[in-house]
Amino acid sequence: MTSLIPMVRRIIAARVDDAALAEDLVQETLTRVLAAASRVETGMLEPYAIVTARNVIASLWREQDRHRRNQHRVVDLCPSDAPDADLLAREEQEAVSLALSRLSDRERRLLLAHEVTGQDTRSLAGELGSTAGAVAAQLNRSRARLRVEYLLALDRTEPPTERCRPVLLALSGGDRRRQREVDAGRHLLECDVCARLSEPLLARGQNRDGEVCIPIRSDGDIVAARQAARELASRLGFSRTDLTLIATAVSEVARNIVRFAGSGEVVVSLLERPRRGVHVVARDTGPGIADVEQAMVDGYSTYSGLGLGLPGARRLMDEFAVASEIGRGTTVTMTKWRDQR
Amino acid sequence: MTGGPKLVSILRQGAYLIASVHTALDDSQMVRFRDDLVEQIGRHRSRGVIIDVAALDVLDSFGARTLRTIGELARLRGAVTVIVGIQPDVAFAIVSLGMSTGSLVTALDLEEGLALLDHGVGAGRSTLPDRRRPRR
Repeated sequence: MTSLIPMVRRIIAARVDDAALAEDLVQETLTRVLAAASRVETGMLEPYAIVTARNVIASLWREQDRHRRNQHRVVDLCPSDAPDADLLAREEQEAVSLALSRLSDRERRLLLAHEVTGQDTRSLAGELGSTAGAVAAQLNRSRARLRVEYLLALDRTEPPTERCRPVLLALSGGDRRRQREVDAGRHLLECDVCARLSEPLLARGQNRDGEVCIPIRSDGDIVAARQAARELASRLGFSRTDLTLIATAVSEVARNIVRFAGSGEVVVSLLERPRRGVHVVARDTGPGIADVEQAMVDGYSTYSGLGLGLPGARRLMDEFAVASEIGRGTTVTMTKWRDQR
Repeated sequence: MTGGPKLVSILRQGAYLIASVHTALDDSQMVRFRDDLVEQIGRHRSRGVIIDVAALDVLDSFGARTLRTIGELARLRGAVTVIVGIQPDVAFAIVSLGMSTGSLVTALDLEEGLALLDHGVGAGRSTLPDRRRPRR
């Protein structure tokens, strides 16, 4: 048995750089070999030890790989610093366990089996009589839910409205279709709690290209919004004329926000489907427009403007829609297609 | 006005003022520009004003309305305003937007604008004195 030690050490040292880690693996290999010694034929102990050493290394690599792959799923709220690290760690632990307790039994079992025990999706699917893809999707949903519950637990808040949870979930899952369904952007403008809680959730997906959000509060932001829209749209290769039309339309809707609502936001995004184009959403939580149809008529103006804001922007863009509710705010959605049919 | 490069320069050239907009202006900067210009028309007893907007990439309804207002204010103060340097895309956007700009006197560039003033543009509706009209 002792004669195996130098050989095992050599095998492992050749594959693992970290000396301390290598020694751990040597010990683990020897323990396994020792435990199996009685079952292994005499003379076969050496090859058995070699295979065991390789397996131990392979599982280490798998572990590291899984760690690397899952790293992005961790919501890092704030890096803890020394004096209150203990307290924070305890709060965090409580938050995680509280969040876990809010998942359904099934969700919790599945998540723990995969993330903690390390069972892969295929074998989980086998146990559940499902497919690996379905299990992975279920895991994604559970993780999204866990993130939301964790943030709520850490913040010690209950969402103030019924819409909060669905919105946070949609943001956490990064599901844009769902976000549109629940009108997540508008809710974040209206709900302070969600606006605050959603920051780490949104930061996760920040690397998303092809979208800019410009907060609109003052005159200067109007210029910033139209310049950002022009810059983004230019990536699709719009002509100079079209870029000017887009920038002018954005200028008009952004000005409406400043004039009538005081503050809001303009979100410009690039579309690939159904056709390439640029999509602009301008939303505010202002007083709303009492008569949208009238506001769309040329020359209708409630301030000393030309009354060209909305009807003018409509003429500049290919698609245009206004949704407004008294007391809740206004959302203007408009699109310019890159390729005309 | 806050620090940084000048957004607009207003230069005096004889009886004319030449105002060049150097960069995109937001609404309040636009309003301040309007007030500055109208004040200087009085101070310098100017008879003509040229506003060079070649550097503007967007002239939306507010921008165009402000130019129109400047034209009107200047006219009431006895000066003719010529807008020069409107870019082709900007012109297209203004038309698409549906703005009526009929009251604006325009010229292609600064040179044309000065020539227009020298020849007593809009003499009928402005208070430009007769002696500025070309003799025929």
